[in-house]
Amino acid sequence: MSEVVILGVGMIPFGRHPQKLLVEMAAEAARAALKDAAVEPGEVGAGFFSNGLAARLFSDHTIGQNVYWEVGINRIPIYNIENACTSASTAFCLACGQVAAGQVEVAMVVGAEKMYVPELGLIHSGQSELDTQLGLVAPAGFALRAKRHMAEFGTTEAQLAAVAVKNRRHAALNPNAQFRDPITPEDVLSAPMVVDPLTRLQCCPNADGAAAVVLASADFARWRRGASRGKVRPVDVRAAVYCTGSYANPQDLTHWETDERGCRLAYEAAGVGPEDLNVVECHDAFTISEILHYEALGLCPAGEGGRLAEAGETALGGRIPVNPSGGLLSRGHPPGATGAAQLCEIVAQLRGEAGPRQVPGARVGLAHCMGGDKAADSKSCTVVVLSV
Amino acid sequence: MSETTELKHATLVTEGIVTGYEDGSRPRLVGGYCPDCARWYFPCPSYCRSCLEPVQAADLGGEGKLHAFTVIRMRPPLGLPQPYAVGYVDLKESGLRVFCLLDPSAIDRYRLDMPLRLTVSVLGHDGSGQPCLRPYFSPGDHHEDAEKETDTGGGEVRDE
Repeated sequence: MSEVVILGVGMIPFGRHPQKLLVEMAAEAARAALKDAAVEPGEVGAGFFSNGLAARLFSDHTIGQNVYWEVGINRIPIYNIENACTSASTAFCLACGQVAAGQVEVAMVVGAEKMYVPELGLIHSGQSELDTQLGLVAPAGFALRAKRHMAEFGTTEAQLAAVAVKNRRHAALNPNAQFRDPITPEDVLSAPMVVDPLTRLQCCPNADGAAAVVLASADFARWRRGASRGKVRPVDVRAAVYCTGSYANPQDLTHWETDERGCRLAYEAAGVGPEDLNVVECHDAFTISEILHYEALGLCPAGEGGRLAEAGETALGGRIPVNPSGGLLSRGHPPGATGAAQLCEIVAQLRGEAGPRQVPGARVGLAHCMGGDKAADSKSCTVVVLSV
Repeated sequence: MSETTELKHATLVTEGIVTGYEDGSRPRLVGGYCPDCARWYFPCPSYCRSCLEPVQAADLGGEGKLHAFTVIRMRPPLGLPQPYAVGYVDLKESGLRVFCLLDPSAIDRYRLDMPLRLTVSVLGHDGSGQPCLRPYFSPGDHHEDAEKETDTGGGEVRDE
């Protein structure tokens, strides 16, 4: 990819925002990102807005135009993106493509989701899908992977719990995380069982939230950085990969081909390997998800993910910290915003602005996201590699 | 017989995915097969994903092996029982791995790799509150069943 940078990021704390409309939350994040990037509304050449649920929950459509006009952006192309949990990261990949192709100098991604509403219902992969009609709810697909992982590799409930405990410990250091009170392995394992073996503290919580990212060409960034006397701090986009499932049958539930393929394509595009990473945000929708993603990312050999978590190697201070933000498990998971919030965290880490959860000297970071179930596979996988 | 009445009045969760259940004989999943590409499908798509020609409906049988299972203890969707069980089942004839409901009355009996056989019965509702017929797998295989039928003098009933 030709040179693309992230110029600014912004987000609102994830949690309950009953007094704020979706558009207000999104505008707040967008404004913060524009300020961070020192970019004026009139300089943005293309805008992407991502959301997963508002069409169903609020009968709202083409929300992006409303959001962007709240921050003074009009006339330009605005794209509304829905892609389940990867909505925002998919929007980011599209925005990168436009900047890399020279179509625009500055592009922007805003993701937002409002989930704390009485009529939310269950999250699934489409009401008319046969699997949904046969009782497949989101946690069940991952519980089935967990059961196979335990049977094939001896992964234990304690190892699953270690992921939740670690991410909560990280979240305590992140003011934007929804749940920040420490939890113990006993808390995790004695929480109500949702789908065997996943207890409630092993499933990511709903959240209201919004996050935004401003991208630019490297040329624009150099000019803007100079004009701001170094106040603007660009982060290089080394890879922004988006792939969809193979839906091959039978699916191997523990070697997730789509996940592995997404990670491999991103490493190839970025010219780095797992050993080069300093910090990772991954899609820990459930504790087992993070363990599977360790393996897909090559942070450990296949089958060793549970032991990697238990050994503390993915905790802050460990060999390769994963989800220093608290991850989906503790920050909360508003699908339309999660992918952008992950980028906010990696940018903060690479700029050295992550405060008490800073990974010392982090120079290469990766954000990984997956979304949607189909045929025992995932409908989408995005992997973004950033560096300074 | 209330069960028969229910079977007659309840609608199938999705048309065309099972056969052989109407007379209670031997339910089987119906999928698709493309003879040119030798590819099996469940459910049956309109077109083969390799050659884009129409796919023939294919009997996938009613027997399989349990590849993975779990029990859903949260508030269930679609009027399903609480708790209920689901799994991935490797079908005997085609080798397809399909997601399916498991018999909720046998929750404590599931073991990896155990043989399963298909049942179709009222399980949950269709989203508008009407009883709904759903396929689900139960422990055991048709072989045991056939022996039982022989023992009790019951003949094999075939549907067409």
